[in-house]
Amino acid sequence: MTIVPLPFDPPDTTLIRRFLKGDERAFRELYERHTPRLKMTVRRLLGRLGPDVDDVVQDTWLAGCRGIQSYRGDAKFSSWLTSIAARTVYAQLSRRNGRETDLRDDVADVNVGAPASSVDLERALAALPDHQRVVVVLHDVEGFTHEEIAEQLGMATGTSKATLSRARHRLRHMLTKGVTNAER
Amino acid sequence: MRNDDDDVAIEYDDDERRLFSELPREVSLSAGEADRVIHRLKGDGFFRPRTKKWRWGLAAAAAVVVFAAGAATGRFVARRDSLEDMLTQSNLSVGDRVLLLQRAGTAYVQAAQTYADATAHIDSGAVEVASKVLMGAAHAVARNSLDAGLSARLTTALQPSLVTPVSAPRRPVIWY
Repeated sequence: MTIVPLPFDPPDTTLIRRFLKGDERAFRELYERHTPRLKMTVRRLLGRLGPDVDDVVQDTWLAGCRGIQSYRGDAKFSSWLTSIAARTVYAQLSRRNGRETDLRDDVADVNVGAPASSVDLERALAALPDHQRVVVVLHDVEGFTHEEIAEQLGMATGTSKATLSRARHRLRHMLTKGVTNAER
Repeated sequence: MRNDDDDVAIEYDDDERRLFSELPREVSLSAGEADRVIHRLKGDGFFRPRTKKWRWGLAAAAAVVVFAAGAATGRFVARRDSLEDMLTQSNLSVGDRVLLLQRAGTAYVQAAQTYADATAHIDSGAVEVASKVLMGAAHAVARNSLDAGLSARLTTALQPSLVTPVSAPRRPVIWY
C-alpha cells in the first residue's frame, strides 16, 4: 500500500477525509491536535480528576468517529467535539444525580484573604453544583451561546441563562469567602 | 461562537475575567491514549486496510475475460464462412456446394501456384509437381463431369504430348 505523506499541518477537514479512508496517521494527528484541550474541558466539566476523565474523552472520540458523517464542517471540529463531550458528561452527571454534594469534599478551599488566582477559580468551579458547573464552563470558558448550550444539554435557553446567573453568583461568593464558608 | 451575555446573569468584574482568561486550556496526553481509542475504533471496523490489490485483481480478471471473449468471437467469425467450416457442413444447398467447389478449386490452384513459386529456386521439379497436381484436379473434375465436359477438353489440351511446341506463344489457361 502506497503511503502518501500528510501535508504540513493539514486542516481538520483533510484529516477527517483521510481518516474516513482508513488512514490511521490522520486520525492520530487529529487526536493529538484536539485531545489536550478536549481533556481539559472534560476535566473541568466533571469538576475533578480521575479515570472518569479519560473514559469520557475516549467515549467522546468514539461517539464522534461513529457519527462523523454528520459533521458538516460548518463549525469548528473542536467545538463539535466539545459538544459531544458536554452531552456525554451531562448524561453521566445526570445519572448520578443526588450524589453531587459528595464531590465537594474532594475540593480544596480557596485561599481566603489572598488575591484569588486561577487555581482558586478552578476550585470554585469544581465546587459548583454539576449542572451549574457545566453551564458556566460551556458559556464562560468555552464560549458557547445559551442557544448552543440549550441544544447540547436538552434544556430551555432560559434555563441555561438562569443557571448561569446562579452559578456566577455562587462563584463570586466562593472566590471571596472560600468554598467552605460559601456553603454556610 | 460568541457570548451572548444575558440580562439575568451578573457580569464578571475585571479580576474575575482575568481569572477566567488565565485558566489553563490544555492538559498533556497520557501515554497510549490515542492507541486505546484506535484499538476501540478498529473493533468498530475503522482503519481496515483498503489495499487496492483486489481492485487490480478484479481489473486483471476482467481484462482476461474480455480478451478471451474477444478471441472466441474472432475465431468464430473467422471460421464461420471458412472453407474448412463449409466442408464440414452437410446441409449446404446445391448453390452453396457449387460455390464451395469453386472456392476450393481456386484455393487448390492458388496453393499449387504458390508452392511452385516458393520452391522453384530450390527444386527444379516444383513447377512440374504443381502442374501434375493441377492436372490431377482437372481429371477429377472431368471424371465427375462437373463442368459439362469443359475440363475434359482442357485436360486433353494440356496433355504434354499434345501441348504445342515450346517455341509457340504460351496461352493462358483459365481454371475457374
